[in-house]
Amino acid sequence: MSLPRTSHTSLRPLAWVSLPVAATLALTGCGGGGQDGTGEAEASETRAVAHARGESEVPVDPRRVVVLEPVQLDTSVALGVIPVGTTVLNEATGVPGYLGEEAVGIESVGTVPEPNLERIAALEPDLILGTETRHSALYDQLASIAPTVFMASQADPWAENVQLVARALGDEEGATTLLDDYEERCAEVAETHGTEDSTAQLIRPRDEVLTLYGPTSFAGSTLECAGFTTPEHDWEDISLDISPERVLDAQADLVLVTATDVDAPDAVPDAIRDNGDAFPELHVVDRSFWITGVGPLGGMTVLDDIDRILSAAE
Amino acid sequence: MTTPTREVGSDAGRPPARSRSVRLVGAAALLAAALLPSVLVGANLLPVPSVLDTLLGGGTAESRFVVWDQRVPRTVAGLAVGAALGVAGALIQAFTRNPLADPGILGVNAGAAFFVAVGITFLGITTPFGYVWLACAGALVLTVVVYGIGSTGRDAGPARLTVTGVAIGAVLSGLTTGLTLTHPDAFDRMRGWSAGSLLERGFDVLLPVLPLLLVGLVLAAAVAPSLDSIALGADVARAHGVDVRRVRIAVLASVTLLAGGATAIAGPIVFVGLMVPHVVRWMVGANQRRILLGSLTVAPALVVLSDVLGRILVLPSEMPVGVVTAFVGAPVLIALVRRPKVSGL
Repeated sequence: MSLPRTSHTSLRPLAWVSLPVAATLALTGCGGGGQDGTGEAEASETRAVAHARGESEVPVDPRRVVVLEPVQLDTSVALGVIPVGTTVLNEATGVPGYLGEEAVGIESVGTVPEPNLERIAALEPDLILGTETRHSALYDQLASIAPTVFMASQADPWAENVQLVARALGDEEGATTLLDDYEERCAEVAETHGTEDSTAQLIRPRDEVLTLYGPTSFAGSTLECAGFTTPEHDWEDISLDISPERVLDAQADLVLVTATDVDAPDAVPDAIRDNGDAFPELHVVDRSFWITGVGPLGGMTVLDDIDRILSAAE
Repeated sequence: MTTPTREVGSDAGRPPARSRSVRLVGAAALLAAALLPSVLVGANLLPVPSVLDTLLGGGTAESRFVVWDQRVPRTVAGLAVGAALGVAGALIQAFTRNPLADPGILGVNAGAAFFVAVGITFLGITTPFGYVWLACAGALVLTVVVYGIGSTGRDAGPARLTVTGVAIGAVLSGLTTGLTLTHPDAFDRMRGWSAGSLLERGFDVLLPVLPLLLVGLVLAAAVAPSLDSIALGADVARAHGVDVRRVRIAVLASVTLLAGGATAIAGPIVFVGLMVPHVVRWMVGANQRRILLGSLTVAPALVVLSDVLGRILVLPSEMPVGVVTAFVGAPVLIALVRRPKVSGL
């Protein structure tokens, strides 16, 4: 295992020099298999991917991918690489429904914070994707199962994480297309509904306090992408918890409250219900994609939801 | 601070009777004083005149919401929870003759928590109002089971009940942890409940539990006269003419109703039931009736004041009251333990 890596690392700076030679010798019959141009220069079928834990040799065309983070699951499915295993937020509910038919059968390998190494190993993956801030302690064990690529943090701008996943899967072009489509849909929603002068706030009721999601969160960034402005707050990273006493701080032209069951009679927390007059445009939205649907597919689903809500309101 | 001459079960070293009464009055004053900040202070920094105006029937929509829908109900809930935990703690310490016993020692909290976890995980229950019934049911079922197992055999003594309670409580805690770890969704919701919180504990949560708490308090008052004898051991109590078995059942029922009811309202609030009877014993001496009365006043004051602290410690959010009582409780308990003579039963 260490031999090809050593030779690869030492060869890489020479890749451009050796490219014509390699082509002449016709070492690889099928050029263009890799995205980074170095792949076909060598006989080995791996590419180097730089990530939060350094650099890993991953297969040029990974077929058995295990993902440990929602954004990795969403991006893989969006790119047409259906993982063989994924962590889930809730083992009882499994893979979120918005990912579609193909994703339903993906095997669960534990929960996002607590992946199960035995179940991962049993799937014999050829690539594992994880997150440094969550799975740091597991890296060495995961790397001994299969080449492992870690993104730095789930709190980073999600588009960057989408690009890293795409690099690991060897389909950066695909990711660019997905993100472009997303931006385009944003513009469409913004234009159709004239959102540019409106504010929007997503609230997640949690432990009886209210978590407001800021502009750098997945939901917040998608609302801003769709033309809305997020009201000013002293954000702590991506969100801010407020006491129900301060519920009026959460006011905006459009206020969205997340729930696991949007039809539940208690989906809207008491504090907001008691102040109904202050929240004229209030809608309950599905947490499974608004909060955990981080990625291009989730983004599109959220934009569709915004479109639906605004169309119904008009 | 130190009263080195105080002896367990002897009148010699106790504070003189007048000073004890003064201290009980002091405890009542402390309770009254705790109510003021609980209405005036909170995460929404309303000016004091605005709060007072609201209390007199004026105020804005926002101030009325903050005062009448948030602060007043949670203050009342805090009083009820504190009183229940204080009395339950005093009862269980006298009953088990164990100064380190708290109401959870019979597994009441573990039973309540397990039922709530099952409700969240499998029944999709998400509101404090839903938790109330689960927690009550859990506490009651567990006490019946513990009593059923612990009272078989010839000597259904407190030691046997305590061991049974601790054992079953440990098993249930393990199951609860297992449930929440495999269902992070449930974990998310349990987090607030299992820390012990008074947020959004309105009258709709409090009122259904109130009758249980009142029955518990009445039972506690009924057994209070026999507690001094019970605290000296079953044999002494029998010699004093106390029907030990009856008192035991009454104490168990009372502790279950009080601790179960308090847990149902706010989740398990730690340290209050353990610490308050200690502090009170140190203030008023080893007289169980005085300890019960003292706990009935000091514990609500502690819960309400801790809740006020929790509202302003992590602005603009709030810290659950159970976390604050743990912070406040640990140092006080250490100070008590470090006194030259530990106050006995």
